[in-house]
Amino acid sequence: MGRVEKIRENLLRALKPGHLEVIDESEKHRGHAGYQEGGQSHFHVVIQADSLMGLSRIARHRAVHEAIGKDLMTEIHALSVEFRG
Amino acid sequence: MTAQDQIKETVTSNDVVLFMKGTKAMPQCGFSSRVAGVLNFMGVDYSDVNVLENEDIRQGIKEYSDWPTIPQLYVKGEFVGGCDIITEMTLSGELDQMFEQNGVSFDKDAAEKIRAANA
Repeated sequence: MGRVEKIRENLLRALKPGHLEVIDESEKHRGHAGYQEGGQSHFHVVIQADSLMGLSRIARHRAVHEAIGKDLMTEIHALSVEFRG
Repeated sequence: MTAQDQIKETVTSNDVVLFMKGTKAMPQCGFSSRVAGVLNFMGVDYSDVNVLENEDIRQGIKEYSDWPTIPQLYVKGEFVGGCDIITEMTLSGELDQMFEQNGVSFDKDAAEKIRAANA
């Protein structure tokens, strides 16, 4: 299973989002630090989840990091998260 | 001194600190570059710590804040956020408020220019 699917699965399970997109943006970073051949290094997540409502900016990012899991977070180079209300 | 002590010393003895890859004059990562660019443009007086020069600090800062990525911005010893959060706060005006509340001077017109350009 690729990392997009793993991230997706972990987020679905932990946060039960109403909306979720997981995008591999690695190609945009080709040649930059952290780029790995074959991609799967830079990800962008768009998420809406009731469980994240009312949390501070830091808290909701932390909730996403935690849901993805420490191992996977360590493997990937970069993650940006966009929260939808 | 341990890396944790060193980090604590750095963030408490400087009002604004950015832990980043590269330096504010020459960032070496797009995400670090974005945050340094905002601070530079807003004329904020801040200290930059290049984590690429010290592996202990590079790992230690992630433990210090329990935050997995770099850059990391600290104001008056408090962790404010990474690239996504600083970008959001810049555009919403929360960053201005946070600087004002902490007595950190910055160029308000420059902040408005960033918002106008991204509106």
